[in-house]
Amino acid sequence: MTGIALETGALGKRYGRTWALRGCTLHLPAGQIAGLVGPNGAGKSTLLHLAVGLLRPDEGKVRIFGQDPRTAVLTDIGFVAQETPLYRDFTATELITLGGKLNQRWDVELARSRLAQLGIPADRPVGKLSSGQRAQVALALALAKRPRLLLLDEPAAALDPLARREFLQTLMGAVGDTGATVLLSSHLMADLERVCDYLIVLQTGHVQLAGAVDDLLAEHRTLVGPRTASGALPGGAQVIRASHTDRQSTLLARIARPIENPAWAQHEVTLEDLVLAYLAAADTPTAPTCMGK
Amino acid sequence: MIWLTWRQHRKQALVTVIALAALAAVTVPTGVAMHRTFTDSGLAACLDKLGTSTLTSMDACVTLGQKFDNQYQGMTYVGILFVFLPLLVGMFFGAPLFAREFEHGTHRLIWTQGVTRLRWALVTFGLVGTFVTVLAVVYALGVSWWFAPLAAAGGGRLSYTAFDIQGIAPIGYSLFALALGIFAGTVCRKVLPAMGVTLAGYALVRILIETLARPRYLAPRTLSVPITSNQQFNTLSGDWIYSQGVINANGKLVVPNTTYTCGAPPGSAHASHGAASCGSNLVQQGLGPAPFKNWIQYQPADRFWAFQTIETVAFLALAALLLYLAVRRLRLIA
Repeated sequence: MTGIALETGALGKRYGRTWALRGCTLHLPAGQIAGLVGPNGAGKSTLLHLAVGLLRPDEGKVRIFGQDPRTAVLTDIGFVAQETPLYRDFTATELITLGGKLNQRWDVELARSRLAQLGIPADRPVGKLSSGQRAQVALALALAKRPRLLLLDEPAAALDPLARREFLQTLMGAVGDTGATVLLSSHLMADLERVCDYLIVLQTGHVQLAGAVDDLLAEHRTLVGPRTASGALPGGAQVIRASHTDRQSTLLARIARPIENPAWAQHEVTLEDLVLAYLAAADTPTAPTCMGK
Repeated sequence: MIWLTWRQHRKQALVTVIALAALAAVTVPTGVAMHRTFTDSGLAACLDKLGTSTLTSMDACVTLGQKFDNQYQGMTYVGILFVFLPLLVGMFFGAPLFAREFEHGTHRLIWTQGVTRLRWALVTFGLVGTFVTVLAVVYALGVSWWFAPLAAAGGGRLSYTAFDIQGIAPIGYSLFALALGIFAGTVCRKVLPAMGVTLAGYALVRILIETLARPRYLAPRTLSVPITSNQQFNTLSGDWIYSQGVINANGKLVVPNTTYTCGAPPGSAHASHGAASCGSNLVQQGLGPAPFKNWIQYQPADRFWAFQTIETVAFLALAALLLYLAVRRLRLIA
């Protein structure tokens, strides 16, 4: 444990009367590669913008390595915004120069060699590159800051499956080299399943679930058994989502210890099942609110 | 930061300089021709002798002035085109300056580097503003020189159009247009709407100030002179005449927008009557008791620089206000 990379406390952000994010409490341990999941409009971008200091919170606080992102630590954060915006008439070389002019810590060699490895032409305007290549340029720029925390807002959303896989691979490779903490938002579960070891589920401005992927998978089971009322499970199990037929119930439950009731068949859950269960549960009034930690 | 601003706007700067050079290629030859005619026709010397006093008994320059006006009438319309140049600064430099960043999302790239958005905004504005100021100074000096003969032969430097393209006011207009464009960009966050807002806002403010505020910068003077006097109003003094007419002995304006010259020497451009019949005609028309006087309300020509200073300061103050509001709005944008 090397501390907390990102910490939010009762964080809220409002646009007009609508809260885009509210009561959000999170601790993202350093060294993790975290996925931020949720449907469109869940507040993923808002959370990332608050974390990188683009937005000012309306309530609560956000800390990056213990500091307010609006006052300090920008040098420690690498950010790739949605749709990987770049000056389209700049060449990659010019963008690297730009980063060097605007940052105190800037690894020109890192950026250049990454692009060279990927075979991305450095002397063409980036507007003329493919969107996959542009995303790679944006990633190289973010990495050249040598950030301790790398925030990526749906970096792969616009890419075709092949380019997406390649992008995530290079991301993983780079992070492995630098040891940075990563928070990556996406609504594509398959991407996150491949790369993340920490998961944050966001729905309508609230954190539904957060935790290390291994722990979450260990704590949850799909239980199939005789038809029963929700919540009536032994052993402190908490039903996240229940579906019933005439005879039997299928429950996705968070269990404190193994259930030794032979009436119930237990199956391991996939990350996707888990996320979908929590997102569906959030639509019901009994939904757990911000769980955090 | 400076490198970034230059890299982003160098193409635009180059195009502007080329456009300005093309404009100079048109204005320099025509300006030289106008100045030459102005001197060679004797108009310059005549106006020197005439001076800028409001009353004169000399009428000789009027004919020369009209001849000059007839020859270069087209140039007056070219002068009107110059009025719109500061607006182009607002639309093509100001409006896209920040709006393009928001439209393409590149502000998220720039604001998450190691430079605060306030510093980014001030450096960007500082450099573009300096460039625009230099442009405006070149424009103001050039057009002041180019338009001088037309202003002298016509309605003077205080008249509409002439006032708007000479002196230091164009610098104020240009920086105001730039700041308005920037502010519109932070409100609309898209280039085209920001340009539209700049166009409408600039026209509105200029028209309001021109029609409502400018005539009130300083209290106008009034002057009246008997219609029988051989000293009459000097139409080439460069005074800015608000209104004129004939007043009767009670001081009531009885014939608006006309002056009578009964005692003027022959060859006058004005309608001439016998000195005695002139007044009695007006009495017979029931216009009140004699003696009648020609009357004007005006701003003297020598207030040109006072008016220019007031106008420029007003527009610079508006520019500063808009810039402050724009920077405040930047804090809300993510």
